Amino acid sequence: MRSVLPRTKEPPLRDRLAALRELVEVAEGRLEGAEVAAARALLERAEERLGLGSDRTVVALAGATGSGKSSLFNALAGEELSRVGVTRPTTDSPLACVWGSGSEELLDWLRVPKRHHKEDPALEGLVLLDLPDHDSTEVHHRLEVDRLVRLVDVFVWVVDPQKYADAALHEGYLRPLAAHAAVTLVVLNHIDHLSDVERRQCQKDLERLLEADGLRRVRVLATSARTGEGMDALKAAIKRRVEEERAVTERLTADLHQLARDLSYLCRGKDVKRTVIPEAERERLVDALSGAAGVPVVTRAVARTHRRDAGLAMGWPFTRWLRRFRPDPLRRLHLRQEAGGRTSLPPASPAQRAEVENAVRRVATGAATGLPDPWPVLVRSRAGGSVDQLLDAMDEVVGGAGVGNLDRPRWWSAAGVLQVILTTMAFLGFAWLALLFGLEWLQIPRPPTPEVRELPWPTLLLIGGLLGGFLLSLLCAQLARFGAARRRRRVEQRLRGAVGDLAESSILAPVEEEVASHHSFCRALELMGGGR
Amino acid sequence: MDSQGMHDAVVSLAEELRGAEFPLRTTGSDEARAVKQELIGQIDDYLLPRLRQIGAPLLTVIGGSTGAGKSTLVNSLVGRTVSTAGVLRPTTTTPILVCHPVDLGWFEGNRILPGLPRQTGAPATGSRALHLVVDPDVPEGIALLDAPDVDSVVEANRELAAQLLVAADLWLFVTTASRYADAVPWEFLRKARARSTALALVLNRVPQEGLDAVPGHLAEMLRREGLGDAPVLTVPEAPLEDGLIPAGALEPVTSWLHHLAVDADARARVIRTTLEGAISSLAPRASVIGAELDAQVAAASALADEAHRIYDLALHEIEQSLSGGALLRAEVLARWHEFIGTGDVMRSLQSAVGRFRDRLNDLVLGRPPVEAEVRTEVERGIEAIVLAASDKAAERVIEAWRATPSGRALVEGDAVPLRSSNLSSAVDTEVRAWQASVLELVRRQGAGKRAAGRVVSVGVNAAGAALMIAVFAHTGGLTGGEVVVAGGTAALSQRLLEALFGDEAVRALTTRARSELLARLQKLLVAEAERFAQAARAGVPAPDRAQAVRTAVESVSAAAS
Repeated sequence: MRSVLPRTKEPPLRDRLAALRELVEVAEGRLEGAEVAAARALLERAEERLGLGSDRTVVALAGATGSGKSSLFNALAGEELSRVGVTRPTTDSPLACVWGSGSEELLDWLRVPKRHHKEDPALEGLVLLDLPDHDSTEVHHRLEVDRLVRLVDVFVWVVDPQKYADAALHEGYLRPLAAHAAVTLVVLNHIDHLSDVERRQCQKDLERLLEADGLRRVRVLATSARTGEGMDALKAAIKRRVEEERAVTERLTADLHQLARDLSYLCRGKDVKRTVIPEAERERLVDALSGAAGVPVVTRAVARTHRRDAGLAMGWPFTRWLRRFRPDPLRRLHLRQEAGGRTSLPPASPAQRAEVENAVRRVATGAATGLPDPWPVLVRSRAGGSVDQLLDAMDEVVGGAGVGNLDRPRWWSAAGVLQVILTTMAFLGFAWLALLFGLEWLQIPRPPTPEVRELPWPTLLLIGGLLGGFLLSLLCAQLARFGAARRRRRVEQRLRGAVGDLAESSILAPVEEEVASHHSFCRALELMGGGR
Repeated sequence: MDSQGMHDAVVSLAEELRGAEFPLRTTGSDEARAVKQELIGQIDDYLLPRLRQIGAPLLTVIGGSTGAGKSTLVNSLVGRTVSTAGVLRPTTTTPILVCHPVDLGWFEGNRILPGLPRQTGAPATGSRALHLVVDPDVPEGIALLDAPDVDSVVEANRELAAQLLVAADLWLFVTTASRYADAVPWEFLRKARARSTALALVLNRVPQEGLDAVPGHLAEMLRREGLGDAPVLTVPEAPLEDGLIPAGALEPVTSWLHHLAVDADARARVIRTTLEGAISSLAPRASVIGAELDAQVAAASALADEAHRIYDLALHEIEQSLSGGALLRAEVLARWHEFIGTGDVMRSLQSAVGRFRDRLNDLVLGRPPVEAEVRTEVERGIEAIVLAASDKAAERVIEAWRATPSGRALVEGDAVPLRSSNLSSAVDTEVRAWQASVLELVRRQGAGKRAAGRVVSVGVNAAGAALMIAVFAHTGGLTGGEVVVAGGTAALSQRLLEALFGDEAVRALTTRARSELLARLQKLLVAEAERFAQAARAGVPAPDRAQAVRTAVESVSAAAS
């Protein structure tokens, strides 16, 4: 795990627990049940234990059957509280001895009903537990030990020269609790059975095994409950833990470290920095979505409508009326009116839908590359919502983009007026000629017709008007074509922008959010287990 | 019992067991793997040697917990230090076999424990070899083997201990007053009971105050576990003399051993009990293997079937998508309609001039001819649909597999990628091949006298493109006007084709072209599904292995009766 925090000092427990809370929030619904359950259980346990106050320290004597836990317990209590016997296993349920008062709530929380009270100002605040064994044929003993090992503040593992190398102890408890060295004491009991040389050898060998378990800083105390040897040192060690009032914090911190280590496989490997979806992928996605949303159909219709409108405004009046019979492409798509309402765009073809699915999948797969299980699946499922819904939303976007709002360029009216003038001229010329023709037919002498360079005015007006109008309409059509192309580009840009926004909000943002959830998970994990 | 027949039956059972692999994680696979290991070990290390030479000395394996005093017990029985004892745990790392010089020949070769090399002289610590020591004080016909701890913190020791205990004719199980209720040794004792291995317990280091209560408590525990017949030999706690247990304290053990040494019949009985127990325990345990082999085959085929089922569903979805009508984008379809004539088909048919103008337009605008564009478009559309369906199917398979323990391990970390790397180009190839065969179909259909002229007038390529479009709107059994309603966008193409070839022929053509396309796509999808199916089947033994194991077990049982 790469560090994003300066390694200055250990973050306080409060910050670590806040990180755990955030981690649980992220993990909820994302990770496997067991992992979330472990994190949530730790959070609850930590809050409960801190609520009960850290001025009491729960110290548990744990160990194999016959290692002398009960003898040590009695020796520490100074009275025969726990039954000591020769047949195994002896201690059946945990027994508590409390120094000072006011620990009832704590013991209720520990669910230890058998309690004794002692008064000794030196050990004020100590709650000493005698646990059953963890390795006998009685399974319920082990279950009780497993339950209490999660709750107590300080472990005192009691071993004897016969049993100090049992796999049940080292593999079952010491190795999994390797993070808890700060709250672990190991006692080698029954040393009265060994010679001095053997004792030293044995203690050294035990320390070697503990180191192999990962418990480097743990002290091994040699005691004999029978002769009282080493009991003072043990009592002093326990007393120190009680006085310091740090055991609760240290135990919980160790738990958090442990959890962070257990979950660290989720943050290994690739850098946990935020993944950015490359621009090319976004473009591909917008392409696919635009195609499925019918953007090319709309832009084509926009261009056609533009030319149709131009023709209606400035076309040659003699053929202009024909255009009215041609349908308005935009109106056919229900896009002519003001924004809103459903369009009549053709539905996306199966191929276009498939292209959308493929583009979405590419984006999701790319964004999830390098993320650990189960994030790739999560990212894909966040990205690949319902394509139908997406297409519906896009239809609305296209319908609401106001593409039918086609304002007319001002020169259109000027050209229109010019067309009217030219047509009027043609009509005037025609009327004039008709008049002249009528006069001739009625054998009425014609008034002289003004001429320009041998061409009579009425003819000039008629031909000029017709020809001018026709040429003007050709010119306008060509200009409208340019205008249509420009408008088409503008509309395309606008629609792609709108589709892009939709892609951002309904696909890219959820994908990035899911990827970011991994990032915040790992940040919380690092904060939780940081330091050390 | 026929020794030779039994020997051969056991050999063939071992052969079958060795071939049994359990690659899939099922509820029973871990257990089956352990049972397999144990059975093979028992057969190689104990059953076969014993069946070959029933008269070999009685091998007494001294096993027990760490720190129970096994080595000290062996040393004390022999009367000198042959095995290192001490306070350091674990002490015994190299197994030591002590026997009378006369019996040495039985153990020098690879008769028992063929997997362990032999060693004489001073034991080298840490070497995994069987260390042989001869001592004339050991009674003839009995060999003592000092095994490592059954509950040692060193895993290799635990495994070796288990292996040695399996090879024993007799277990001398050593425990102490403070350990006799430990859970781990009792698991071994239960195993001994399951195999009817002859068993005796040494309760070592019993303090004076426990001499009344502890042996009785242990005997009571043994009775509860159904091991009431096993003798409990109590050794009271006493200071060691030169590292050896004083003779007085050891007396219960020495006298029991002496009794066994002088009575050859008793030894033979012990050997026979253990042998028969071992043989009769083979069948129930080997049946675990048989059942797990069945389970493996069933799990593999369930996974493979699931994959194929999901991909079949994908093919069905592709079929639906392809019949959904317009495979072409609206723009391309519009161009196609302009080409074949939006109005009267026949007019368009006759109007070669119109098409000539279109061609000229294409040339000027530099765009591909419309039929080529239709073909590219069809290719692109099919590819997109197939890839989307195939990816979705792969996701579904992965999701379905993740829900099962056996499937989960197979798809962890994208072990099977979503699609094979060349799927995209494979789809291209198949679609192009299909298009070529559609053109061929049209060409052949057009070879008839009536149609020939008309096909020539539109061009084979255009007729082919029309057929490709009609295929995707082919709604089966509809003709003429109905198609216009049902087929929508493809109706024009349908009508063009009908004008070219006639109703009947068009229906036959589209059906044929369509089923050919689907057949080609099915081939691709089956291959995609097969990637998953193969991952599921990898390493899973053939279905007949389970039966072979059962047959081998039956012949062992037959030889025993």
